Order: sequence, then structure tokens, then C-alpha cells
Amino acid sequence: MIELKHVSKKFGSLTAVDDISLKIEAGQFFGFLGPNGAGKTTTIKMMTGLYKPTSGQCLISGYDIHTNSLPAKRSFGYVPDQPYLYEKLTGREFLYFVGGLFHMSAESIKRKIEEAVDLFELGSFIDKRAEEYSQGMRQRIVLAAALVHDPRVLIIDEPMVGLDPRSMRLVKDTLKRKAKEGLLVFMSTHLLDIVEELCDRIAIIKTGRIIHEQVQNEAMRFNGQLETIFLELTK
Amino acid sequence: MRELLLVLNLKSASFLKGLFLLDIRAFLKVFSTLLIFGGFSFGVFFMARSVTAYLLDVAHIGSFLLHRFLSMALYVFFVTVNVGNLVVCYATLYRSKEVGFLISLPISHAKVFLLRFVDNFFYSSSTLALIGLAALLGYGSYFDMPWYFYFFTVFFVFLPFMLIAGVIAVVTLMGLIAIAARIGVRWLLGSLVVVYLSAVYMYFRTTNPVQLVGEVMKYYPDVNKYFGYLDPPLMRYLPNHWVTEFLYWSVNGNYERATPWFFLVFLTMVGLMAVAGLAARRFYYRTWLVASDVEVMRGSKGPGQRISIMQFGKRSRVAGVFLGTNPQTEALFKRDFWMFFRDPSQWLHFLVMVLLIMIFLVSLGSLDIQIDQPLMRTVSFLVIFLFNGFFIASVALRFVFPAVSLESDCFWSVRSSPLELRKLYFHKLGYAFALILVTVEILVLGSTTVRGDDKVLTAIAALCGGCVALALTSLHLGAGTYFAMFKEKNPVRVASSHGASLAFLGSMLYLAIVVGVLIVPLHRYFEISFLLGQTIPAWLYLPVGVVATISLLIFFVSTRLGLSSIQRDF
Repeated sequence: MIELKHVSKKFGSLTAVDDISLKIEAGQFFGFLGPNGAGKTTTIKMMTGLYKPTSGQCLISGYDIHTNSLPAKRSFGYVPDQPYLYEKLTGREFLYFVGGLFHMSAESIKRKIEEAVDLFELGSFIDKRAEEYSQGMRQRIVLAAALVHDPRVLIIDEPMVGLDPRSMRLVKDTLKRKAKEGLLVFMSTHLLDIVEELCDRIAIIKTGRIIHEQVQNEAMRFNGQLETIFLELTK
Repeated sequence: MRELLLVLNLKSASFLKGLFLLDIRAFLKVFSTLLIFGGFSFGVFFMARSVTAYLLDVAHIGSFLLHRFLSMALYVFFVTVNVGNLVVCYATLYRSKEVGFLISLPISHAKVFLLRFVDNFFYSSSTLALIGLAALLGYGSYFDMPWYFYFFTVFFVFLPFMLIAGVIAVVTLMGLIAIAARIGVRWLLGSLVVVYLSAVYMYFRTTNPVQLVGEVMKYYPDVNKYFGYLDPPLMRYLPNHWVTEFLYWSVNGNYERATPWFFLVFLTMVGLMAVAGLAARRFYYRTWLVASDVEVMRGSKGPGQRISIMQFGKRSRVAGVFLGTNPQTEALFKRDFWMFFRDPSQWLHFLVMVLLIMIFLVSLGSLDIQIDQPLMRTVSFLVIFLFNGFFIASVALRFVFPAVSLESDCFWSVRSSPLELRKLYFHKLGYAFALILVTVEILVLGSTTVRGDDKVLTAIAALCGGCVALALTSLHLGAGTYFAMFKEKNPVRVASSHGASLAFLGSMLYLAIVVGVLIVPLHRYFEISFLLGQTIPAWLYLPVGVVATISLLIFFVSTRLGLSSIQRDF
């Protein structure tokens, strides 16, 4: 579960996020939308402990990410907007490194890496250094790293940037399957067709404030109207 | 030319904007920088003046020998500027993303080269330039030189002298990259280290300072004559010699003889700049392509992967002894290990430092420094102590200061994981301190053995060495965290940033205080030891306590600064 309670973030006189409150339950696929500079990445960085909120609380799986950060961090996986990796480590080593940070044993990391190689079609690339990777390859390694410890919550910032159509399909299928298995996915993206395809709830943020929330289910579907809604609300 | 001015204008505007930010933190940063750099410059000025006065008025070595010593110092300075530019140039001229961007624009490659070279020169040489200028002022003020001496010396002799070192570095680098594609980077870098160390060794062997002093002193007290015939012929081709000759004739009021050297330095700089421009027009883009290919083709199977105990996913008993049973500690340690040994700029510099320690210990062993005079004994003890401290400060600056910055853009993976940042910080501090402590103690024990110090002095030196290791490690890690540059991938550039210069000057100040605390009690200790034939260790308890207290204070303040900085928004 993710719960944001009146969260704000100011950088000097600039208010990047202004009094946001949200509650997302386990198993939901949540789409976080907004124009460039609306405050999406800032919100995600506060949720993952990379930024400290100026006011308010971010609860992940019931734990405050800033006052009780370790149990909160154990419960989620994070995919940042830019898939930065340690250039001198191979993909496999990076996955071992992340697994180690999550206190996983070498055997269980090895098992998860084998799964990831199949799932994300990492092939022989996993044993090359990150400095040789393409953007898509980096993105797949980072996604694999976010899932290596079987998190209950997955926070993803722009997961499809730089992916070719095949990789995009791969990522979408994985996320869909994981959400069905009960994983809470919090995804920020600009790709509205992907949101329509995957998300069962959305929120639109503009100049740091949530201006719209909507649920998509059997009874209520976007039916290609999300783009119109988005453009109308964010103009 | 227009595009060149446009880019330069843009760069200077962004630099000035950064300098005059209207917030209190930025102001304090600029103020503290000015304060420390100002204080340091004054210290260098004062020292240069005092040393000149001492050598001429007390030691009576004469003007000729003074300038030959100056020539030797300038040679070391030249090599330092040259090596600094060579190392940093690779990052700024070949690996920088900005170069890739500029090359994609309709700007000639020679202009891109010139832009990056100027940027690189001021970035990597500004602290050395400051030291040199302060020393020049101190030296000139002893001789009461007029204002125009400083003007011409700074702009037409000293800066061109530094530029010669920088231009030679960058032209050499272009040549090296062309060769690297054929013989491989590792072999080339290894050969380069050997060439530079040999150059320094050969210089001092050829100039032979001991023999020179002996030859000049035969004419005592008539030592102010010009003994140019004693200079080895090779010296005439070295820029440090030209600068020294210019200074020698200038301070002796013979501007007629100074002028040719003045023109020689300046015109050589102009000529070399022209050569560099021509070389850049022809080779820069070509070598940039080669460097890009080398980057891409560099094999993934590094030498270290053969060290199976350090492989991720494997665990041996040997590794368990060092790493414990915590998977987080193991993950961090192995990551740091591989990142270090797969980056040639890291392990190569480490190798150079190890070589320097060995050279120092070997040369110390060949010296006869078991002196029977209290003051000289105190001086010899403190000079070696200071050298050890200076060496450790350099190691800490190069390897400890960038430790947090090396988390790089990938810090998100650590920050969003269930790892306490405090633990990460102490992990870095712990390993760095252990390595530096071992280095300090090797240096201390090596030098105390050579001097034939008694047990008390050995213990005192070891204890003070431990304090210095603690203070300098924590100071550089704390400052390195405060001034962290996560966007900078090159540790050398991190270690030559303004924050790094501040940390280094801070460590020099700390070492000066430690020496100040020890000097009088140590002198008394040696006096009593020589006069009464017995040692009274009590003389040293209090100063060592003071040194320990200062070091602990630095440790606490730096660690607190580091711990609060590492928690900042990423």
C-alpha cells in the first residue's frame, strides 16, 4: 500500500509538489500523469527517500519512508527515470549488488537472475559491463534489479523511455502479470495508450497539485478518451 | 571565431552565475573558499620570503645556488602541472560528453580542442598557479622588486611556463592515444609511469645538487658570482632553467641578460601553442575517434575477474574474514573493489603512490640522519613527519575525497535500498582509515628505524601518525561528501575540484598546527636527551594529547558534516 498525506516539496521559493494526498491499495496498477515539470519525478523521489518532503508523510506498506525508512525500503522496488548503472560492473554483478543490499542470499539472487535472464531476454549481455549497454538494455537491467527481491510495491518513473517495441511489450507483459499476482505498481509516464492498456486507476498532476483522479474498470473504461481528458485538463 | 567566442561567453556567464548566487549557503561557500585560499596564499608568500631570506642571509648560499634550487623546484612544479594536465585532459578532451556535443556542431575540431584545453588548463592548474604566484610574490618582495617585474613575470614568464607544461601534456596525450590503439592502454600507461619517474630521477642525477653545492662552496664567501659553466648542457633546453635565468638576472638588476630568457619562455609558449593548434587540426578528431573506439572495445573480462574470492555470488572463507556475514557489507565491498580495479586511473595512481612510498623508504635508508644536534634532530624528525603527513594528505585527497562522488548517478540504487546511509558512510570511512593507517605506520616505522629513534619516540611517532591518519581520512571523506559531484565520473576531476582544493588546504593547515604543537616540546626532549643522556617522555605526553584532541575534533566535525551531507536530497 502507498499512502501520501498532504505531501509538499519546496525548492527555495518554488513549490514543486503542493499538498498531495493519495492512497493506493495492494494489487492496483496506478498511472501518474502530468505534463513536463508538473512534479511527477519529485513526488516519486519523495516516495523512495531520495528527497525529503518539506511537509507531509509518505507511507509505503504502512511505514513512513523518512522516519522508518528501512522496512519501507525493503517493501518496494524502484525504477528511476534515467537508468543509471555502475559503468564498470556487469549487469549480473549489479543484480548481485542490489540483492546484497536487500539482504538476499547468493543462492536466491542467482535464482532470480536466471529468471530475469529469461523474462527480460538479457542473454549474454548480462555479463558485459554497463558501459557497453544501450538505453533499452539498461532499462531492462534496472527493471530486473527492482524486482530481484520480490517487492510488494513497484515504483516506476517513465519505464518505456528508450525501449524498442519488443522490449516495450516485454515490460508491459511483465508488469501486467506482476500486478495480477498482487504487486502494487505506481507508474509515472507520458505514454497515454500504455496507461489505458495497463492502469486501473490514474491521477493527473499539474503544477504540483493533483487535478484529476479516475478509476478504470469493467464498468468504466477510458476507450481512447484519456488523451482528450489529459489535454483538456493540462492546457 | 564567432562560435568560439559564443561558447567562451556562455561558459564564463555560467561560471559567474555560479559564483554570485544570492543565497546564504553559496555566499558562505565563496567566503570560506576566499578565506582559506587567501590564508594559504599568505602562508606560501610568507614561507617563500622567509626561505629566501634564510638561504641568503643566514645560510649564505649565494644568489646562484638559490636560483639553482629554485630551478629544481620549478622542474618539479613543471612536471606536476604537466602530469596534472595529462591526466585531466583525457577526461576533458576525450571522455567528456560536452566534446561529443561540440563535435556534432559545425565548429572546427581545432576550436573544440582549444576550448577544452583552456577549460582543462584552468581547471587542473588553478591551485598550482595560486601557489606559484604567492611564492613569486614572496620571493620578489625579498628583493624589493618593482611592480612591473611582477606584471611581466606573471603574464609573460610564469603563466607561459605553466602553459608550456600544459601544451606539452596535451600534445603528448594525442600521440599516446594514437599509440594506445596499437599497443593497448595498460602497457602504455605503465610505460608512461616509468618514463616520468625516470625523467625526475635522471634530472636530479644530472644536476647532482650535492656536487653543485660542493663546487660553488669552494669559492666561499665569493658565492654571489655567476657559475653558469657548472650547469650540465642539458639544462639549457629545459623551461625551468629559462625561468630561473630570467629571475636570476632580473633580481641582480641586469635586465639586458634577463630579456633573452624572457623572450625564450614567451615565444616557446607561442610556438608550442601554434604546434598544438596544427596538431589538433590534424590529429584531434582522429584521436578522439580512436579514444571512443577504445572505450567501446575495452574487454569486459577485466584482470580482476580471475580473483575468484571477490566474485559476486561466490563466498570463500578468506573473504568471510574481511567481510563478515552481512550481505550488504559484502555487496558494497565487492562493488568498490571491482570499480576500483577496473578503472585504470584508479589502480594506476594507486600503483604510483605505492612506488613513491617504496622510493621514499629506500632513499631514506641511504641517508645518514642520525644527527647529534638537538635542533637539527628536531627539524629532521618534523620534516620527515611533515613529509609523511603531506603524502597521506595527497593519498586521502586522491582516493578518499572522491569516495562518495564515485557513487555517481547510480546512487539511486543505494539510496532507495534498505541500507542505512550512516552504515555506508562508516563503511567508506572504515576501509579508507584502515588502508591509510597501515600506510602511515609503514612510513613512520620506516623513518624511525632509519633515524635510530628510541622506543618512546617511535611510539610517539606511531601515535601521532595514527592521529594524522584519522584526522585526514575523516576530513577528506567529510569534505568529499559535502562537495559531492555525483555527475562527475572521473575521480581525478573530483580530486582536483575546488572542494578538493579546500580540503587539501585544510589538511595542510592541520599539519602545520600539529608541527607547531610538537616543535618546542620535541626540541626540549632532544636537548635533555643529548645533554643529560636520558629521556624524559613526560615532555611529550601533553603535546601528543593536544594533537590527539585536535585530530578527534576534526574527526567529529568532519564526520558530522559528512553524515548530514550524505542524507541530502539526491
